Amino acid sequence: MLFVSLRDLQWRLRRFIIGVLATGLVFAIALLISGINSSFQNEAARSVKAFRADQWVVTKDSLGAFNTATPISDAVAVAKTIRSDPGVKAADPVLIFPFTVTKPALKDLNVIGVVPGGVGAPVVKDGREIRASGEAVVDRSVGMKIGSTLNLHGLLVKVVGRTSGLSYNAGTPAIFISFDDSQHLFFPNSKEGDLARAFAKGEASAIVVRGKVTKVVSDFRVMENPAILSDLRRPLKKATSTIGFLRILLWVIAAGIIGSVLYLQAIERTRDFAVFKATGVSSRTLLVGITLQAILLAAGAAIAALIIAWLLGPTMTLNIEVPPSAYLALPLVAIAVGLIASLFGLRRAVTVDPAVAFGGA
Amino acid sequence: MATDLAIRDLVIEYSSGGYPVRPIDGLSLDAESGQLVLLLGASGCGKTTLLSILAAILTPTSGSVKIGETEVTELKGSALTKYRRYSVGIVFQAFNLVPSLSALENVMVPMRAAGVGRRESKERAAGLLERVDLGNRVGHRPGGMSGGQQQRVAIARSLAHDPPVILADEPTAHLDYIQVEGVLKLVRELADDGRLVIIATHDDRLIPLADSVVNLTPRTDTAPREPEVVRLENGQVLFRQADHGDLVYTVDEGQIEIVRTRDDGTEERVALIETGNYFGELAPMFGLQRSATARANGATVVTGYGLRDFRDKFHLNTPKVLADAAD
Repeated sequence: MLFVSLRDLQWRLRRFIIGVLATGLVFAIALLISGINSSFQNEAARSVKAFRADQWVVTKDSLGAFNTATPISDAVAVAKTIRSDPGVKAADPVLIFPFTVTKPALKDLNVIGVVPGGVGAPVVKDGREIRASGEAVVDRSVGMKIGSTLNLHGLLVKVVGRTSGLSYNAGTPAIFISFDDSQHLFFPNSKEGDLARAFAKGEASAIVVRGKVTKVVSDFRVMENPAILSDLRRPLKKATSTIGFLRILLWVIAAGIIGSVLYLQAIERTRDFAVFKATGVSSRTLLVGITLQAILLAAGAAIAALIIAWLLGPTMTLNIEVPPSAYLALPLVAIAVGLIASLFGLRRAVTVDPAVAFGGA
Repeated sequence: MATDLAIRDLVIEYSSGGYPVRPIDGLSLDAESGQLVLLLGASGCGKTTLLSILAAILTPTSGSVKIGETEVTELKGSALTKYRRYSVGIVFQAFNLVPSLSALENVMVPMRAAGVGRRESKERAAGLLERVDLGNRVGHRPGGMSGGQQQRVAIARSLAHDPPVILADEPTAHLDYIQVEGVLKLVRELADDGRLVIIATHDDRLIPLADSVVNLTPRTDTAPREPEVVRLENGQVLFRQADHGDLVYTVDEGQIEIVRTRDDGTEERVALIETGNYFGELAPMFGLQRSATARANGATVVTGYGLRDFRDKFHLNTPKVLADAAD
């Protein structure tokens, strides 16, 4: 009896295709925003991981190293003290702050000052690591080639290496410069004496540690990577929860489209269902037929979604990282949505009175 | 299964617009296999409802319908599906073919639903379409066929499981006279093959085709008859709602209250007929059942007239025939 459902889909092919495309577009948008959400989560995790730190030492009133750090004003000395801890293998200060360049174009960056060759210096994808002041490692998303010069409000740094996928706070790329250069950049208008003091002691967001701190220096606290990551993700928490809510709404819209297509079909086929029942076709057979249509519509929409997402993804300015699990889950979720959406149509088919078949034309 | 049909004391009552309607009231009849039975009557007389009961689609208010040893009114669940599938074939008034399916597939549907294999059902459907002279139209969809061809596909579909009983609802209603001929011939052949064929129709031209006729609309007696004087006491009923009636009444003395019974058993007064006025003319004129009850409001005298006398008395026109196809 499945051939009846398939023939019906053929009969209403145009509507079926419109339904597949409309639902596919909604599924695709849901997939893409899942990718955006996932990207926000992943970039933060990659950024924290890039420091290759085991622990982070921050001031006592800091909630993290990226967003809510009270600067450590005598970082060089603090780092030295921490290095003397028997559980610590290495420790270096890092200064992390947002920065906006205006030349050659307006661009927001996340600047990270690291000790060349020290803890926190990132692994590059191409080029080499920073060896001295005046050098920078930038993320590929900045769009600069190795050997080009970056003008940081008058501080000229040469790009010697590039990382990949290192960004945070909604795709803002990270650039790594030397710790000393970061001091210049962070205090551009300081008086000479202040600058000298700053150079001597160093201002840092955190001391990144390899190993394990056994004795915490007073006025400081030790944070583990998950806590640092949580602090980094916090500003985007509302955005990600909103995206999650929108994604649910999109599933509901998709269910609405599938449901209305099938319900409309069920209304139009009322007489067919009545004739089927009058001629001894069981309700279960009718249910299977409509369910098959729902599954085909949802599965078709899932395939359309994959194609649409593949085409639209590269046109988005935000980095989109659709998790493989989402690709796997999409057909299953789509079919589940289709089945739920088909309930009204199913109900309609089951409740049709076979006596309707006896009516006139 | 023996196909002899036995209907006993069948009552069908349903609600229409808040009022109980009883199109069939106490019908009993017998029919045998190989017969073509005509259920004849005007619209609304209950012939399609009766077919629905024979098809086990509707349940009567009371009474018994037996086909062979099967009490149709008591069928439930899988027995009901099995009965609809194997015991009766239905030919619907509006053909009711599935527009997305070809003629062949439409005939295959009942077989596939019953679990017959694809190849076998295809072969059987092709054979049935050959039988109704549509062997060359198997791949056509209903939209590409004439009304007569569609009806023949519907007949082929009704024969899918070779049922002993065929029910046809106004099988010629949507056909022109050329198409009617082929369909009637086919229907007659079905009965000649030993099936019980029951046709519901309002078209009395089909009478010569039938072995027996069940008139569901009583014929109005238009022969001249003596006026009938009836004396009623207060509250005495002259006729009841759903009764059949041949007479039109005038109120000679007193009043007649016309009341209609609702579904819940309560009554509403429709009219109060005063001395000198007439009532009850529609039932005999149109062969309908009485739509309300008439009862005396105080001591009342009424006179009942046959339809012809009523027309003469009240100088009502008889329609003129402007043209006659026989002329």
